[in-house]
Amino acid sequence: MATINPRFGEELKKYGAFDFNACYNCGNCTAVCSLSTEDDSFPREMVRFSVLGLEDDIKSSLKPWLCYYCGECTTNCPRTAYPGELMMSLRRWLTSVYDWTGLSGLLYKSLPLSIFAFILAALGVIIFSVQEKFDLATIMHYGHYFEMYAILTVFGVILLPNIIRMWWFVILKPEIKVSFKNYLSGFWELMVHMFTQKRALGCDDNQLRWFEHFILVIGYLGLLFTTVVLDWFSSGSLFITVLGYLLSIIVFTITVIFVSERIRKKKELSKFSQPSDWLFVIWLFLMGLSAFGVRVFIDTKILENNIWIYLLHLIILVQWALIIVPFGKWTHFLYRSFAMYFAKLR
Amino acid sequence: MQEQIKEASYDVLVIGGGIAGGEAALNLANNGFKVLIIEKDLSIGGKMILLSKVFPTLDCSACITTPKVSEISRQPGITIFTGSEVKKIIKKTENSFEAEVLKNPRYVIVEECTACQLCEQACPVVVKDEYQFNLVGRKAAFIPFTIASPKVAAIDIGNCILCGACEKACPPKCIDFTQEKEEYTIKIKSVIIATGFKLFDPLMIPRYGFGLFKNIITSMQMERQLAPTRPFNTILRPGDGKVPCKVAYVLCTGSRDATIGNPVCSQICCMYSIKQAQLLMGALPMADVTIYYLNIRSFGKGFEEFYEQAKGMGVNFIKGKIGRISEKENGNLILRYEDINENKVKETEHDIVVLSVGVIANRDAATLFPDEQLKLDAFNFINQTDPLASPARTSIEGVFVAGTASGPMDIPDSILSAGSASAEAMSYLIQNK
Repeated sequence: MATINPRFGEELKKYGAFDFNACYNCGNCTAVCSLSTEDDSFPREMVRFSVLGLEDDIKSSLKPWLCYYCGECTTNCPRTAYPGELMMSLRRWLTSVYDWTGLSGLLYKSLPLSIFAFILAALGVIIFSVQEKFDLATIMHYGHYFEMYAILTVFGVILLPNIIRMWWFVILKPEIKVSFKNYLSGFWELMVHMFTQKRALGCDDNQLRWFEHFILVIGYLGLLFTTVVLDWFSSGSLFITVLGYLLSIIVFTITVIFVSERIRKKKELSKFSQPSDWLFVIWLFLMGLSAFGVRVFIDTKILENNIWIYLLHLIILVQWALIIVPFGKWTHFLYRSFAMYFAKLR
Repeated sequence: MQEQIKEASYDVLVIGGGIAGGEAALNLANNGFKVLIIEKDLSIGGKMILLSKVFPTLDCSACITTPKVSEISRQPGITIFTGSEVKKIIKKTENSFEAEVLKNPRYVIVEECTACQLCEQACPVVVKDEYQFNLVGRKAAFIPFTIASPKVAAIDIGNCILCGACEKACPPKCIDFTQEKEEYTIKIKSVIIATGFKLFDPLMIPRYGFGLFKNIITSMQMERQLAPTRPFNTILRPGDGKVPCKVAYVLCTGSRDATIGNPVCSQICCMYSIKQAQLLMGALPMADVTIYYLNIRSFGKGFEEFYEQAKGMGVNFIKGKIGRISEKENGNLILRYEDINENKVKETEHDIVVLSVGVIANRDAATLFPDEQLKLDAFNFINQTDPLASPARTSIEGVFVAGTASGPMDIPDSILSAGSASAEAMSYLIQNK
């Protein structure tokens, strides 16, 4: 039997939700949603669960991840209960639920704490540089190692356990029987959704937005690959150099579009931005731009005298890799695609 | 154009000749007061005279309205101006007003017209019939509707081609194209505002496709199809004239919906839809009727029993607001909604969809008083300054409100409200003698 917990709403509000208590359960949001199907009908059910505080039902549900926030539900809500923004907040809340360290929740809820964490990361880089007496070669060498080890550690220690926790909440705990064969055969689905986000195409009038997002993901992953595996900053190959430039340009131009949309607040999905949303897009932008800058300084041979640009890039990189990737909005990349995978398994 | 200025004086000016205005006027006149009714339309009787039956008794609406309307017309204490409008009302002294009234020409001499309809037959112009809510056509020379009062022809000068065919056909020669607008300045002691309501325009909800898909009609169009003076003598869907067999009602179209600016309940749609569903089961015994609702608000006397009766007759009730409507090639409509009882989004096909449109404030009266402030409530209905002790009182002394001008209500409540307005006006008039 479910226990009603009206205080859950207060908790959700810290993740950005508001006014969802106004809902009078007409189901208009679900009916106008182009992704809602007979088997997976949302968002009204999620609004209801949130109002009643049925945390376990939300934890075992994949529906928040099945929503790609076109905003039709909010536009057409007769009670202005902002169901779209509630779904967004549930995704933030679920991110903190899946995170075994509990840091996600703290960072989502507290902007001062987030700022503190960012300052701490920056200080770490600066102290390290001072210790190394601002020796460019050493810092760049460790910077490159940092990238590789940070990826492995964050994935192994934080993200993988969190995915397993998600699996526990949505498959194991509700005692859903899935054969090993299904796990294997559904794997293709996981890859497709991870790299194409094709479900977002099902949203109304979302082709352009999907395309921008798709290019950004490709640009970001490509840039990651180019810097970490192909070692863009040390490479002499013309192909790698040009590829790195191209990918970093993609990253910072597309993020400019996303940031300006959040400033203009024209679309439903960009009307309400939490600190986590701002940090995610702005840091992605800074990463692309600073990486671009570093390589420009290398190619114009002025990096030796302008080591600050690399330090700036490294600070942004460390903040990104240690805060935003494991505990911030970056995780939606994994949870969204795994949600599609688990949905297929169920 | 030469203006004719005529002066007269009355005890009470009733703005609007619907069921509330008519009832208030009748009460006042029966008590010896001199009343002037100004009606914008060509007939008095308002919206009620166009209805089929009334809930929850299923009495014939015309059979109640027609005798009432003829009583109002025959009462010597009541003067009625149809096709007229009040331009402005100015407070002259503590307890007197002066109203400027504009009477639009009908181009027919009312006293001489016999309603023989020969002008209608002669007229070559066909336009949409607004009294049948555009379901059929009418001529430019026409009698508004069968039970109109006054039952007199009128020329729709906006659509008239001035061919003179009606003039030649008219036996008593009562068509007069030389009529002009007449302006009157009228002295009055008190005003009753009974300007009624407007029906929600479903074009404001594009996702329902009203106006785009032929087989979506408003509840008022269905009401006309069910009325004794109905245009088709059966129920037909407008797209192809097929007799429908799967009817859907979409409740809360334009009510309880903040997106279109009307977050409140219209108070009548649940019950009139249930009434129409019952009438449809009689008119089309083989048809399935489904009502999609948010909550059924059967709050009045006999309403819950009426709702139960509809369920007993086999009307389907599904809880869920219609989100979108799309059209199939054969003209059938797909309704997308979440079935709240099953937590599932569903799509169901119907061959006709009736949008149960809500009650919207008629703001025409708001600007009538240039020197005084006639307060409106949050939803633009006339504000009742003391709804408990003196429900007809407005923010202007001597100005009262009757019927749906003060908010959404059904017919019995409108008539009650008219009774209260006339009683309060009478008491005001006697006190200020």
